[in-house]
Amino acid sequence: MGDDYPTLFRSEQMSLMQFLIPTEVAHDTVAELGELGNVEFKDLNPAVNPFQRSFVGEIRRTEEMARRVRFFESQIQKEKDVVPIRPLYNSAPLVTVGPSAAHNIDELDVTLAEHETRLVQMNDSYKTLSERTRELVEARHVLRETAVFFEKAETQQTDIRTSFDDSSAPLLQHDDREQQYLSTVQFDLEFVAGTIDRTRISTFERVLWRVLRGNLYMNHTDITEPFVDPATGTETRKNVFIIFAHGDALLAKIRKVAESMGATLYPIDANADKRSDSLREVTARLEDLETVLYNTGVNRRSELLRIGENLAKWQDVVRKEKAIYETMNLFNYDVRRKTLVAEGWVPTRDLTMIHMALRHATEESGTSIVPILQELRTNKTPPTFTRTNKFTEGFQTIMDAYGIATYQEVNPGLFAIVTFPFLFAVMFGDIGHGLIIFFAALYMIFKEKKWAKQELDEILGQFFYGRYIILLMGMFSVYTGLMYNDIFSKSLHIWHSGWDFPESDGVSYAVSNGHMYPFGVDPAWHGADNGLVFTNSYKMKMSIVLGVIHMTFALCLQLPNHIRFKRPLDIYANFIPQMIFLQSIFGYLVVCILYKWSIDWSTRDTEPPSLLNMLIAMILSPGKVDAASQLYTGQGFIQVVLLLLAAVCVPWMLCMKPYFQWKEMQMIQGQGYVGLGHRNGGPRESADEVLEIEEEGNGRVIVEEMEEEHEQHDFSEVVIHQIIHTIEFCLGCISHTASYLRLWALSLAHAQLSEVLWSMTIEKFLGMSGIFGTIALVMVVVFWFSATVFILCIMEGLSAFLHALRLHWVEANSKHYQGEGYLFTPLSFAKLDEKE
Amino acid sequence: MEGLFFNVNNGFLEGIVRGYKSGTLTQSHYASLTQCETLEDFKTQLSATDYGNFLANEPSPLSTATIADKATQTLVDQFNFLRSNSVEPLSKFLDYITYGYMIDNVVLLITGTLHERDTHELLERCHPLGIFDTMPALCVATNVEELYQSVLVETPLAPYFRDCLSAADLDDMNIEIIRNTVYKAYLEDFYNYVSTIGSTTAEVMHSILAFEADRRTINITINSFDTELTKEQRAKLFPAIGRLFPAADDIDQVRQVCENVGEYRSFFDNSASAQSNGDLGDFGVAAQLEDRFFRMEVHLNKLAFLQQFQYGVFYSYVKLKEQEIRNITWIAECIAQDARDRIHDFISIF
Repeated sequence: MGDDYPTLFRSEQMSLMQFLIPTEVAHDTVAELGELGNVEFKDLNPAVNPFQRSFVGEIRRTEEMARRVRFFESQIQKEKDVVPIRPLYNSAPLVTVGPSAAHNIDELDVTLAEHETRLVQMNDSYKTLSERTRELVEARHVLRETAVFFEKAETQQTDIRTSFDDSSAPLLQHDDREQQYLSTVQFDLEFVAGTIDRTRISTFERVLWRVLRGNLYMNHTDITEPFVDPATGTETRKNVFIIFAHGDALLAKIRKVAESMGATLYPIDANADKRSDSLREVTARLEDLETVLYNTGVNRRSELLRIGENLAKWQDVVRKEKAIYETMNLFNYDVRRKTLVAEGWVPTRDLTMIHMALRHATEESGTSIVPILQELRTNKTPPTFTRTNKFTEGFQTIMDAYGIATYQEVNPGLFAIVTFPFLFAVMFGDIGHGLIIFFAALYMIFKEKKWAKQELDEILGQFFYGRYIILLMGMFSVYTGLMYNDIFSKSLHIWHSGWDFPESDGVSYAVSNGHMYPFGVDPAWHGADNGLVFTNSYKMKMSIVLGVIHMTFALCLQLPNHIRFKRPLDIYANFIPQMIFLQSIFGYLVVCILYKWSIDWSTRDTEPPSLLNMLIAMILSPGKVDAASQLYTGQGFIQVVLLLLAAVCVPWMLCMKPYFQWKEMQMIQGQGYVGLGHRNGGPRESADEVLEIEEEGNGRVIVEEMEEEHEQHDFSEVVIHQIIHTIEFCLGCISHTASYLRLWALSLAHAQLSEVLWSMTIEKFLGMSGIFGTIALVMVVVFWFSATVFILCIMEGLSAFLHALRLHWVEANSKHYQGEGYLFTPLSFAKLDEKE
Repeated sequence: MEGLFFNVNNGFLEGIVRGYKSGTLTQSHYASLTQCETLEDFKTQLSATDYGNFLANEPSPLSTATIADKATQTLVDQFNFLRSNSVEPLSKFLDYITYGYMIDNVVLLITGTLHERDTHELLERCHPLGIFDTMPALCVATNVEELYQSVLVETPLAPYFRDCLSAADLDDMNIEIIRNTVYKAYLEDFYNYVSTIGSTTAEVMHSILAFEADRRTINITINSFDTELTKEQRAKLFPAIGRLFPAADDIDQVRQVCENVGEYRSFFDNSASAQSNGDLGDFGVAAQLEDRFFRMEVHLNKLAFLQQFQYGVFYSYVKLKEQEIRNITWIAECIAQDARDRIHDFISIF
């Protein structure tokens, strides 16, 4: 059974459970388990096509319901005035379990269908009505605009006529009568008028010009207000056109072209009176239509409002139903088809909860048959399930992204909670920058409840997801910033500095005044000529120290794994020699670094030795130590011993494990045992197959598949694996130690960059006085601050984040982490919502 | 050098198109599609592929036409994405691909107008890749001269139509001749164009276009048996690219011509036996031939994906996807009409 408290140290213990669920309570049971959300069901019919499974009909029905719900949703979204959707927690739940479940679902199906038909009908009538309105509006526009054309033409024509009259004598006797006639019927040119899409007008004009060979006079004006398509909500802009041409053939052609180009033609009379008549008529009809349209719109809206009341509820139900039936498709029938057989992984700790859930489901459904739950013995690897909360989730995700931990393996995600922000902070050490990201994370945490519900965009969403990581990163950065004594590249002067700079001309040398700076770097170093040399040396050594500690710690995490999985051989053959190897070279280096720091070199007669050269000399010329660069007496001897220790470890790692495994194999074979999978496995498997064929399709319980996880004792493979492992470890020790120098490099780069930013911007404006100086200072501070946030906090922060990530994934994880598990993915309605 | 700078402008799109290509349906997809009982199953199956939920919002009684339309729409969307992200000379190349569809649309409209079909219905049936602004105005024209002067002169197809202005009347046969003349001009132009944009592209595209030309040549020859088309007239329609130039009077002579080209030898393999049985006749041979042509086309287009740093993949992708849509439509049609025995008569691509 599981431990007493859930822990991050190892993944949960899992059991493979078999559920025997009576068909009539199957739905309710799955619903209950889905609410609970900690059973991962296995697919018991992998060979069956998705559409040949038992509950395809139900799934199809729920899909149809889902389509209707989506349709409502899109309709509601398209509506310009916001239709309120009552949130899920606020609406009465629809009972989908228990005796009335089937009835309720049927009812829901009918309701949805009714709503859909009604809405579609309303949409249709609304569409036709608004189509007609649009036509009328267009007609009105055409009438108005053409009227303008005609008026213009009329004045021009009278001009022509009058000039004509002036120049020549009346030709006909009844001249006066003709004058009268002319004023009523202006001219007899034929024309076509209508509306067309504005984007098409130029094409239209071009085509017409070509088709008619230029024999036309065309005029068009814009209709100012756009037409809105009620179904899609898109706006179209149109133009009124009027084309004058002569001859029926040409007019027919114009009509044809216009129609095929998607224009709408309107019959317009040349007579002004008739035009105004029809205008009046159109306006009247338009008014009628608009009232009808308004009423339809109101009806439609009330329908949508009614839908909006229940939409969230429906969405929820439909989604759950679909998930339930999809899960039930994974189940198998027993022989008599009365019971469904399901298998699934369950966290052992939650078994009682699942028992309760099953009983609850039976009570709800009103039957007395309780589903049976029994544990199956299996040799399959269970899925890895680590319980996280909102705080640990981010850190666990970082480690899961590298690889899911093998079942019950030590989980590095737990330690990452401290080591990750710490390594980040070593590279990001600055009080100011640390505070900025700390407060940013704090803000996100305060907004947590609100932001969790709404949809965030991709980038912000990622930051929000990692808010607790950022919070810790900020806190740790403040700490390392105090250590480095850096705040926005300036230093804090909290305690009394240990150094004085006595006044002198030219170069001034620091003089010790007996104080000791109690915490962090003495601010006197800031601005000193050799300040950079000092911090460089300090940070470089510090990163080696931290690196070796981190690696040693990671190496130690092997131990609980070996003990848990009962592999004592691995402790002796891997863990111990690896530890000795690492410590004898790099552990020794760390000790030397600490020792060198602890010595006051000014009182010694020897120069402080270079530790790098010492390490190189230790390997290249063992036993010989130059007296001038000796760190301590007896150094030569100790180094030889350490080197020998390391050298012994290599063959130790290389040979011991393969040898013992070979011996064990010999022993087993000597006693007459042969691996199950080889020969003796044969009959059993075939017996299984016979059974399978007998029970095919009806309630075959898939027990264990013995083939899986059968360890092949192929000796050559063991040897090769061990060789690779040894080489990787030995080389890795060197390159990984060097890799930790990135802590130094990044923290140096960060400090320098912030210093450059300060000296290039603010520093130059600090001395300026007067109003002009103040304004300049304010502006430059704004610039400096935004550069600090974007370049130093976000950009540099991301880069430090990546490097910290790498140090965990490569340098630390390679020491102990197998990461060959797979994630526990239970059926859970809560997660269903997240996915949407 | 081509390989060195190809990715500057086209690397992204080549990546996209190769990604699209890996989404084409595989053998196992087809296997599960052919097992479907109803179009609803078919929809469920397709939703597991790269087509995704393209049918999710269609109300339930599904028609084959809807499936084909929606599938074509996905292709068109993909193509338009490629087209709008491309720069010269790739954009020009992609335009060239659409010209073929434009020619088909023009011919469809002319034929439709000739038979006095409804213009809007015709416009709906046009292939969306070949639609251009002034296309609707084609319905007005009554002869080729007018057609050219009023509409086509400003489209990129104009140069191709210049050759067939002499054809006076529009009747079915003339339209066929126009189609083939124009297509010949198009193929030759395309062939010349791909020669100018890099040797790899040229190599890949030449083999595809040459096959396309040969296919047309054979089709023209077979279709012109027993018509009033003389051999000289016929010869004028043959594209000048490609490897065939059959001057044949019956199908056996065509076969002999094809025998001379290694790759085409298999086209008539079985047809000999079929003909000796006498149950299929020329028509059966032609139908079978068409199938073989498609297989060959798929094969050539698949080959295009073996070479990098060339534009052929874009052309091939469109063609392969088109074939896939034909396959989907075929299977859907077979399911809808319950013709299970013929459901496997599609050309699987991968």
